[in-house]
Amino acid sequence: MIERDRWVDEVRAAREGGLTFFDLLTAVDTGEAGFEVVLHLWDVGGKRGALLTTSCPREDPVIPTLTGLFAGAGWHERAAAELFGITFAGHDTRPLLLAERFEGHPLRKDFVLASRVAKRWPGAKEPGESDADLPASPRRRPRPPGVPEGWGQ
Amino acid sequence: MTPYEQGMAVLRAAQGPLPARSRGVIALLEENCTVCMLCARECPDWCIEIDSHKETLPPRTERGRPRVLHVLDRFAIDFALCMWCGICIEVCPFDALFWAPEFEHSATTAKDLVHERQELRKWLAGVPVPPPLER
Repeated sequence: MIERDRWVDEVRAAREGGLTFFDLLTAVDTGEAGFEVVLHLWDVGGKRGALLTTSCPREDPVIPTLTGLFAGAGWHERAAAELFGITFAGHDTRPLLLAERFEGHPLRKDFVLASRVAKRWPGAKEPGESDADLPASPRRRPRPPGVPEGWGQ
Repeated sequence: MTPYEQGMAVLRAAQGPLPARSRGVIALLEENCTVCMLCARECPDWCIEIDSHKETLPPRTERGRPRVLHVLDRFAIDFALCMWCGICIEVCPFDALFWAPEFEHSATTAKDLVHERQELRKWLAGVPVPPPLER
């Protein structure tokens, strides 16, 4: 895990050490511990790769951009920016994938997928039941995973 | 030969026989299904639809009790939603679901990607013999 202040310097050192191929940059929502940004670099000649990670707190989700080192990091950072709500300082992070008026960051763990609430969960049925039995049953139903209390159903 | 068939012929010639672990399509052995709903609940994509009803069997002995049986009415997998994770197969406690290597089941409409129980049974023909148990 690289401190985010040293992120650009360490990645530059890795590139100078032979890891010249930018493969992938993405992020992980680790909950209260904040966000991790994961970078995979590859040494084409030496056939070896390295995973580099850095992190930022949830309240201050800012990571310096790598676009000065790898121009190809631009799209990856824009995707991570809109899906996780991370700011890549020094990079233009306009939305890349989501609709213009989309609200929220769908790969954050606390983001509730609206379709999970709007759609009927096939697992709500108990053994021996079909769709016709569902509305009539007064018993408490199991909730689909990832849908918090008080949402729909 | 359609362009698709031509392409598939080239692919087949290039790849040779598929390995036994291939994730082509999911097959259902209905006789093993007890309608426990585990696969439908574990599926991350919500792509398994199961309907069933209860039937009561008379007691088998004089002092026995009647038994309640769950009978499958519908088992369908929507391959438009499925992401081939195989969790349903892993989680099935009764070995009712299997991977079959058959991968040529594309369709021209999303509706035709919903395989009902008859189609899921059809895929059983391609399920490879499992490797021998470790001793």
